[in-house]
Amino acid sequence: MSLMSSLEKRLKFLVFTIEECSSCGLKTKRAFQSGDYLYKEGGECSKCRGKTRINMIYSEKAET
Amino acid sequence: MALFEPLQGLDQTWTLLLWWVPFIFLIFYGQRIQMWVSLSDVSRSLNKLKLMKEKSRKEAIDFVATFSKSQENLTEKIDQFLEYFTLLPVDLDPAGIVKKIEHIINVRDERVRAEIKRLVSSATDTQASNIENILEVATALNSIYKVVRHYYLLSKKTNSYFWVVQLQMVLPTVLEEAHALMGAIDAFKQSQPIGDGVGAMVVGKMMADKEKKTVAKDTVMSESECKGRVLYLIKAEGPGGNVGQPGNALTRLIEEMGIKIDAIIMIDAALKLEGEKTGEISEGVGAIIGGIGVDRFKIEEVASKHNIPLYAIAVKQSIIDAISVMKKEIAETMDKVTGIINRIIEEKTKEGNKVVVIGVGNTVGISQ
Repeated sequence: MSLMSSLEKRLKFLVFTIEECSSCGLKTKRAFQSGDYLYKEGGECSKCRGKTRINMIYSEKAET
Repeated sequence: MALFEPLQGLDQTWTLLLWWVPFIFLIFYGQRIQMWVSLSDVSRSLNKLKLMKEKSRKEAIDFVATFSKSQENLTEKIDQFLEYFTLLPVDLDPAGIVKKIEHIINVRDERVRAEIKRLVSSATDTQASNIENILEVATALNSIYKVVRHYYLLSKKTNSYFWVVQLQMVLPTVLEEAHALMGAIDAFKQSQPIGDGVGAMVVGKMMADKEKKTVAKDTVMSESECKGRVLYLIKAEGPGGNVGQPGNALTRLIEEMGIKIDAIIMIDAALKLEGEKTGEISEGVGAIIGGIGVDRFKIEEVASKHNIPLYAIAVKQSIIDAISVMKKEIAETMDKVTGIINRIIEEKTKEGNKVVVIGVGNTVGISQ
């Protein structure tokens, strides 16, 4: 059990999605959702209501 | 002195007990003790590998079960799948061996896809690719565990210290690879981009909003323009976990379509040395592509036949970074790598030239 928990602890990362607006260039960082993939059309831009696209998906080590 | 006479005898006894007895004992049994210590160390690592193997097997079964309509014999079928092997062609006569290797690999890929279709007939192509990748990870972990266990048991059976020591020496590297494979499972389950996909990520962005056409199995191409040069952008087709056939794509472009290419630029992940930082970028020459060597052979062959310079851009990362979810440091190299591509195009080619840019890597979570 201690081996498994050290293994699970080692694998804890948070994954983020960055959406970028093609009109105003605003970048929005949010948690990764199932179905996200790079260059997928995202939601509406919160600033100019333009089209956004997912430009980055990456992981960052979770702060424990 | 009379006062110390009884103590002199005592001194000799202590010398005998503390020095000579252990010394003679270690001469005869020292290696056995070392062997016992080494075997314990190997046994601990073997337990870790066993846990990883079982966890990956369970993850694979659970993941496939979410897509499979019939649960009957699913575990048995997956266990059978995990034991598949591929025999590479004999290399006694190496002439023409690349074609044979390609044939065996194609047969294996078709067999794997057919098996997955049988298990999960309702899965989309993307889902089927992800299932394939997860099963490959589970198969690899199963093989690693079995091989290490084989040498461990062989060492115990033969009482050979040299077998144990050799196993002990390679285990840190083996464990690191196993940890990396475990990290890959989450990425494939969630369809998240992995570090190895950095090349595909860069070229995928260049391809966005352009018309794509299939030029080889699981491989797409787009045309673009940069500083008066025509660009042919090639990458594996995402967002499923494919590596494509860039070798066949390039051969088709040059030999079948008859396009005269003036330069080839390839982008891929490369293993970093200890001390190097993740995300460091290096430039070089040659066909930067991993795998068994079939694609690399084809790219080198067509480039040398037509005298086309090959430029390589490597994004450095560890083996764990390469097959786990893409790290921020790797994702942020996008703009820098694009800048290097533009600089190579400007410096090494002239206006009106045609340049092929190949983004190498697994395209899980990376569309175009």
